[in-house]
Amino acid sequence: MRTLALALRFARRDLRGGLTGLRIVLACLALGVAAITAVGTLRAGVKAGIAADGARILGGDVEVASQQGPLPEAALDWFAARGARLSQVTTLRAMAVAPDGERTLVELKAVDAAYPLFGELVLAPPGRLAPGEIALERVVADRLGLRAGDLVRIGEARLRLRGLILAEPDKVTSPALLGPRAMIAMADLPSTALIQPGSLVTFEYRLALPEGADRRAFAAALREAFPQNGWRIRTADAAAPAVNRFVDRAAFFLTLASLTALLVGGIGVATGVRSWLDQRARTIATLRCLGAASGVIFATYLLQVVALAALGIGIGLAAGFALTAAGAAALADALPVPPRLALYPEVLGLAALYGLLTALAFALWPLGRAMEIPGAALFRDAVRPARARPRGLLLAATAAAGAALAALVVGTAENRAFALAFVGGALVTLALFRLGALALMGLARRFRAARRPALRLGLANLHRPGAPTPLILVSLGIGLTTLAAIALIEGNLRRQIAEQLPEAAPSFYFIDIQSDQARDFDRIAAAQPGVTEVKRVPSLRARIVAVNGVPAEEVRTTPETAWALRGDRGLTYAATPPEGTRIVAGQWWPPDYRGEPLVSFDANLARGWGVGIGDTITVNVLGRDIPLRIANLRDIAWRGLGLNFVLVASPGLLEAAPHTHIATVRSDVAREGAVLRAISEAFPNVSGIRVRDALEQVAALLARIGTALSATASLTLAAGALVLAGAVAAGQRRRVRDAVVLKTVGATRAQIRRAFLVEFGLLGAMAGVIAAAAGTAAAWGVVRFIMGADWTFLPGTLAITVLACTALTLAFGYAGTALALRARPAPLLRNE
Amino acid sequence: MLILATDLHLKVRAEAGEINILRGVDLAVRGGEAVGIVGPSGSGKTSLLMLLAGLDRPTGGTLSVAGHDLTRMDEDALAVFRRRHVGIVFQAFHLVPTMTAIENVAVPLEFAGRADAFDRAEAALRSVGLGHRLTHYPGQLSGGEQQRVALARAFVAEPPLLLADEPTGNLDRATGAQVMDLLFGLRERFGTTLLLITHDPLLAARCQRQVRMEDGRIVADGAP
Repeated sequence: MRTLALALRFARRDLRGGLTGLRIVLACLALGVAAITAVGTLRAGVKAGIAADGARILGGDVEVASQQGPLPEAALDWFAARGARLSQVTTLRAMAVAPDGERTLVELKAVDAAYPLFGELVLAPPGRLAPGEIALERVVADRLGLRAGDLVRIGEARLRLRGLILAEPDKVTSPALLGPRAMIAMADLPSTALIQPGSLVTFEYRLALPEGADRRAFAAALREAFPQNGWRIRTADAAAPAVNRFVDRAAFFLTLASLTALLVGGIGVATGVRSWLDQRARTIATLRCLGAASGVIFATYLLQVVALAALGIGIGLAAGFALTAAGAAALADALPVPPRLALYPEVLGLAALYGLLTALAFALWPLGRAMEIPGAALFRDAVRPARARPRGLLLAATAAAGAALAALVVGTAENRAFALAFVGGALVTLALFRLGALALMGLARRFRAARRPALRLGLANLHRPGAPTPLILVSLGIGLTTLAAIALIEGNLRRQIAEQLPEAAPSFYFIDIQSDQARDFDRIAAAQPGVTEVKRVPSLRARIVAVNGVPAEEVRTTPETAWALRGDRGLTYAATPPEGTRIVAGQWWPPDYRGEPLVSFDANLARGWGVGIGDTITVNVLGRDIPLRIANLRDIAWRGLGLNFVLVASPGLLEAAPHTHIATVRSDVAREGAVLRAISEAFPNVSGIRVRDALEQVAALLARIGTALSATASLTLAAGALVLAGAVAAGQRRRVRDAVVLKTVGATRAQIRRAFLVEFGLLGAMAGVIAAAAGTAAAWGVVRFIMGADWTFLPGTLAITVLACTALTLAFGYAGTALALRARPAPLLRNE
Repeated sequence: MLILATDLHLKVRAEAGEINILRGVDLAVRGGEAVGIVGPSGSGKTSLLMLLAGLDRPTGGTLSVAGHDLTRMDEDALAVFRRRHVGIVFQAFHLVPTMTAIENVAVPLEFAGRADAFDRAEAALRSVGLGHRLTHYPGQLSGGEQQRVALARAFVAEPPLLLADEPTGNLDRATGAQVMDLLFGLRERFGTTLLLITHDPLLAARCQRQVRMEDGRIVADGAP
């Protein structure tokens, strides 16, 4: 207690000396904490927005959706008996055709008179949508050159353009990959003739429950009353699980990028505390001589560091929150719902905890070191750093803070395995830079006898005692590693989309081809000039309801393979292996097989679910559960964008079910417009999706995600630059002094400049090379294992990274050198 | 004349206004002379030395050292001038802390592009009795040893002029005497012209000529 009181008193006095030296600690912590706060608040805000507006976003308190035909009358009666108000919405894809024949794919939404149950549909001009009318999103009207009053053809129906859709209450902004919105009245749906057996249609039934009714209980009762039907039942409490998942996942990656910034900040903390203590060396030694116990000294300086860390964290929290508001405004188009910005205690608490643990993990070591060194040794420390190690207890505390930090990262992660890999990767990268520094210093020592004085001087600066070589390498390197990794990941994705795909990918997908249209479709499509290939397969909608008898919700899977258990999957059947099939286990069935239903399954999903040959996957097709036994596993090359199905069943049972066909058509680029027009003219109910358009949407989405990631990663670089500036500044006094003495003994400015150039050039090059290697490894891991994509090495991207790295170090070093050379020698050389 | 200074002025702008540090110094020194400069603190001794070394510029007057007009040379030319003509010894040694003893001594020769820099540096260190300390850093040497390294560095290029600013000021008496014996010995061996600032009357007495400065002016000049 007495120690603490004494320490508090000393700490207060010591702080009078100002924060010089600790400012970098403040800035580093604030930066990292701000990034984490901003990401966390945005995530919480979006989720709160979804939760608060659940009923509006979902369109009802409860929504029942079916992709396998309308709900039976019994279900509607069941709803009515419980006092629920019903609104019916049907969505499907269709071609919107302008009077001049221009056409484009739209997401067609047919709504009844009760729509919307919650919120408000805003049209321009204002008013309601009447039968015989159509409302379009602006992009559709613009693309087709339509004006209010024009007749738009949808399927077989001709509808008058009512105006534009300005706001759709139940719209969650999701990447509109497959077409913008067109809205018609439910009464007009039959006249389009688009609803045919097996068409890709979603029938949604939104319910407004009577006051006080329990949504979840209602949903549970509904499931019980109508089991085994393949419906998707959602309540407003969890209105947009897919969006929530997307937000979680995006936030996870952004958080990791923020943590990298905090990690670099931690290095700034360590060096800042260290150089600050070096400045206090005389004071510490004096206190020592006056009889201060090492405990008091330690507590005195720990208190100051903690006080400062608290201040830095506070600034970070405030700045992070302010950043969120700015970020929300900038990302307004990309966010699924407007975020509800508020001070979320759990977010702020977590960010503060990250900041505090980082401060402790990185500050305890230098603090302990100051405590261990006898007063006399501290006087010489500037020349030759004492090799004193903190005592065991402090080592343990440092390790504990580090472990707690790692546990926090992994424990709060959306993807534990990846978080673990991140922590491991961070440690390895740190070690790599440390080793790189040792190697660089060793090499510099070996070449100390170099002939040219500037070269020798520069080399000597790298390996001399107390040289900041490791610090500069790490501070610069971690940020650049992150940037290199992100640049490579983005580059890989872009490449796959922009460069590889167009050759392998078809020009169009055509969906909803009726069985009786199939032969005509093949004939007409193949007859179009420019068409080089037509492939068609039967397609059914199926929902996986159980795996080996375990209900789908309870199946344990890896996070990367959970998606296939949610929502409807495409299912096809084939007598012989489709072209290009790569069977990795088991056998394909004989062409004339007519036994129990077998299935060929995606090998990657099988690994993730832990299933193999002989296991059973139960799918629900058109309300009927069908068990499929796995006969073989296939490797699927999704990248090819051909017709790939997770499930390929044996023919027989499924052939009899009503189904449609899906086709890919490959055509000359120049003739794509004409091909689309001819085919959709011949088959008004068939929708054509131009792959080029969809890919552009994907590319635009990727660019947005990439921008967000790069912005966060640049925070890491900013933190690195801070630490680097601190390291250069810490050496500045020495540099000025050296420069003056060298001038005194006859060195020209050019000679001194060359020496610094050698020093910083080598540092930058080394940091760049290691960052390139570590960044490549990280990017390879993410692309290969997290995204499951093929890896391409991009030397150009890396070269830019290395060059930028070297240039940055040189710029910093050079700025310092210029200042050092400007110093007037006389005042420095005078006797004190 | 090795040094010829006429009406040297040095004004420095400070917060309190302009300070006249040197107010018209005339000094002529022949090659081979040893001149002791004495006077109270703040009388301008060190400033004069800085001007002679080309480390500062006079604000008035003319100054020629070894035939070079120092007022007309740029910074780099002055550096080359020092390399060839001037050795300097400071009270605070001013060794580069991150270089070993031999590296510190070799630096002037290296800048001059001499291939035998290290051989000569080693010889110079041996001549000041530090042959066993070649690869030590300044921080590992005592004050007297550091000043001997500084002496070796000042003499290694055999400059015609040695400027010394209280070289024993940071040393104890016995060590100081050793260093001064070395300094005068080396000066004799190379025939170096010496300008020595000192507070020690005994040291000043070892020079043939004594210059007394007060308030930025030379007030006495002659045999001690």
